[in-house]
Amino acid sequence: MLKMASSFPEEVLEHVFSFLQSDGDRNSISMVCKSWYEIERWCRRRIFVGNCYAVSPRILIRRFPDVRSITLKGKPHFADFNLVPEGWGGYVYPWIVALASAYPWLEEIRLKRMVVTDESLELIAKSFKNFKLLVLSSCEGFSTDGLASIAANCRNLQELDLHESDVEDLSGRWLSHFPDTYTSLVSLNIACLGSEVSFSALERLVGRCPNLRSLRLHRAVPLDRLSNLLHRAPQLVELGTGAYSAELRPDVLSNLSSALSACRELKSLSGFWDVVPTYLPAVYSICPGLTSLNLSYAIIQSPDLIKLVSQCPNLQRLWVLDYIEDVGLDALAVSCKDLRELRVFPSDPFVLEANVSLTEQGLISVSEGCPKLQSVLYFCRQMSNEALITIARNQPNFTCFRLCIIEPRTPDYLTLEPLDVGFGAIVEHCKDLTRLSVSGLLTDRAFEYIGTYGKKLEMLSLAFAGDSDLGLHHVLSGCDNLRKLEIRDCPFGDKALLANAAKLETMRSLWMSSCSVSYGACKLLGQKLPRLNVEVIDERGHPASRPESLPVEKLYIYRSVAGPRFDMPNFVWTMDENSALRLT
Amino acid sequence: MSEGDMAVIKPKMLKSYIWLQTTDGSIQQVEQEVAMFCPLICREVIQKGMGSSKTHAISLPERVNTAMLSLILDYCRFHQVLGRSNKECKSFDEKFIRMDTQRLCELTSAADSLQLKPLVDLTSRALARIIEGKTPEEIREIFHLPDDLTEEEKLEPLKNVTDDPRIRLLNRLYARKRKELKEREKLKNTEDGERNDDRSVDDLLTFINGEIGDSKEIKSSKNKKKNRRRKDQQKNTCLYEANESHEEPKSLNFVCPSDEVNKFRPSPSLTLTLQDLEHDSLNDQLEFDDGDIDDEIDPALKAQIDREVEDFARRLNSDWPQRMQEILSLGQERRRVQLSLNGNDSLRRYAYIMTRPPSSLRRMVEVLVLGFNPWSNSRVEMILMT
Repeated sequence: MLKMASSFPEEVLEHVFSFLQSDGDRNSISMVCKSWYEIERWCRRRIFVGNCYAVSPRILIRRFPDVRSITLKGKPHFADFNLVPEGWGGYVYPWIVALASAYPWLEEIRLKRMVVTDESLELIAKSFKNFKLLVLSSCEGFSTDGLASIAANCRNLQELDLHESDVEDLSGRWLSHFPDTYTSLVSLNIACLGSEVSFSALERLVGRCPNLRSLRLHRAVPLDRLSNLLHRAPQLVELGTGAYSAELRPDVLSNLSSALSACRELKSLSGFWDVVPTYLPAVYSICPGLTSLNLSYAIIQSPDLIKLVSQCPNLQRLWVLDYIEDVGLDALAVSCKDLRELRVFPSDPFVLEANVSLTEQGLISVSEGCPKLQSVLYFCRQMSNEALITIARNQPNFTCFRLCIIEPRTPDYLTLEPLDVGFGAIVEHCKDLTRLSVSGLLTDRAFEYIGTYGKKLEMLSLAFAGDSDLGLHHVLSGCDNLRKLEIRDCPFGDKALLANAAKLETMRSLWMSSCSVSYGACKLLGQKLPRLNVEVIDERGHPASRPESLPVEKLYIYRSVAGPRFDMPNFVWTMDENSALRLT
Repeated sequence: MSEGDMAVIKPKMLKSYIWLQTTDGSIQQVEQEVAMFCPLICREVIQKGMGSSKTHAISLPERVNTAMLSLILDYCRFHQVLGRSNKECKSFDEKFIRMDTQRLCELTSAADSLQLKPLVDLTSRALARIIEGKTPEEIREIFHLPDDLTEEEKLEPLKNVTDDPRIRLLNRLYARKRKELKEREKLKNTEDGERNDDRSVDDLLTFINGEIGDSKEIKSSKNKKKNRRRKDQQKNTCLYEANESHEEPKSLNFVCPSDEVNKFRPSPSLTLTLQDLEHDSLNDQLEFDDGDIDDEIDPALKAQIDREVEDFARRLNSDWPQRMQEILSLGQERRRVQLSLNGNDSLRRYAYIMTRPPSSLRRMVEVLVLGFNPWSNSRVEMILMT
């Protein structure tokens, strides 16, 4: 056996490893033995860092000498709901500085929920000669000036994706910074921008890039401009329209229809701001080929929606507003047998009375009619245990189930009981469930079910639920694979957290806001577990100025080998054994 | 092989043969077109004119034994025929690689030494499929690889890695200092929040070193500690359900981290109850630990440790730039570096500090003594990256 191990040359082993690119496999390989660890670290090219504060750039660079692709995530998920105060952190600049000097051949940077400045973008543009891909998902802190740097300097750029970032849009001129010699664009997503860009520049750009596959425009591109663009890029696979409206002229519809029908590869549609329903038929010709349809900005009523989805038999993903109503979801269940993912967003979440006729029935229909449905995000106003049990039985294949009953603590509308049993059925039947968000009236019993059955659960989101620490204890002690737990406004305090403190080191992060965790407990956790960063976020002032037993506003705990961070604002403190003694 | 035999019968004019010799001694003839499919053999024939007779047989690389040669020739014999459809080739390949892992490894290795890239790819992919989705333990078993990563390099809850008594000592002494400062704080009025420590590194270490001289009498070993802890636990009962009111009283057995700083494992044998957490008993137990500077450090070793600590402090102050160069140049090497906990411990420690140059030397000591994360603690990073 030893003979075999020694006669197996490194280069061959490296070649074997080259066929294993998933992070999980790479991690497994590197932990087999010392020699595999060494070989693997020299040939790993893609790195995923789920929490930018879990590891430092230096540690990363020291271990992996030749990285070509990096993904970094910054703020916790609840930042999407404005629960993370401005200035909390997630700054990418120090990373870019370190990466720039260590990896001159870096090709891809993907960032999510990080603060990206124009300086960072300029540094990226100048440091990486073969830079190909930049994805800024839900990022902020940069302006169109930074984009201009990227456009001007990255000769080999293939993908620029600003997915839902908060960009300071100074002007649309940045797009014109792509030089005339630049032809390598494959994917462009500027849907989040506001300012008008030069349409001629855009048309020329699209026209000279033969490999363009994905183009997601922003609202400032009107419909009559779309045809011109499509004529120049009939090879598109993904299209995000701009504003789906124009003055009612006869030629707009016909031009658009012919332009769209020429795009035979089109599989994904999005955009659809300001829809004028008269123009919807333009897309009918490509509907049969569609696998993904994002209508989350489209204010279209259910009859038009039904007409649309009924022509999409190959649809796998649908994001839509609740205008689709139960009747529309019935139609979906009949027409789209290949549906894998459904997201139904609320059109008006701030009114108490339902403005549309969307109830639990829609979800039941879809769970019944779509055998491949795996991922659901569903906003509604009423739910019952009976419905949830039916859904669970219909569709045990759910991997992601997120139900958001708009009004907190809403009970089962038929029996007025908590929805414990319903969610219990979900976790019991859906054995492969990895992501779950719960809502409605829930007692500790619901968490008992989750802890008992949610063995594969990796991410759990809780809000306005539970009675006591027992609920949290069930989750922390029962969910073996839990990686991310985010909680808001639940009556969970110190006991369950301290009792399950060891669990926290096996998770990526825990977020608790508006709960009952005391400052004293936070300090204790920070002292006991030096490999965790226990961050107390409190905009009311340092918690030491109040009695220790009072709860902190927000708590964010994550494991880290990089130690406490030093870029915190004045309302965030890291608890550790020496915070009192720390010599400033 | 029967083909070899048959070759003797057939007239030589119809086929030409290449003679190959494996390291385990056997010499055989192989049809030219089959053998020439291997780039290495091809080169030997064309460039060096070898293989035309038994006496001039081409010596094959060590990793190609008779069994492997046979397999490789089967592969070549099939693939060198032109005009095979993709489907045929795929079908053959799928059947061809069905063998146990050991043979597959040997075959990969052999194919690589003959530079037969298509076969290397085929076998490598097959090996990758075997590895895919498996845990490190499973992979180790399949490939009979040694489990030579140390505990602290693995994914299990990490113990304190400081086997080195110096580090343990420094940790304990620093903790003691902490305790004393707290006591001093309690005595004082809480008017001075800031504590400015302007002492140099040497001063700080001397202060710590001074403690060694004042140490308490050596208590008996850890056993006493353990017994005391166990007794405390037995006294406490689970009062959770008494404190809370809910419909179904359950007997909850909370598992807590052990008392020792940095050292815990969610083991059922060491359970604490909520009552412990509510009182300061936990803190007491922690300080109880800190109080023991003793175990296993005899005076002679202590003196040696003092010297080494001072030496280290001196080095921190002076050797910095030179050290850094040393460490950085070591990092350039591609070959596997023998990193072991015991041997080059100090080297790695320096290196860790080098890669995190803090603004002041005072800070460096803090780094050393506090969140000590040795070089090889990289396994945790892997979790963090998933």
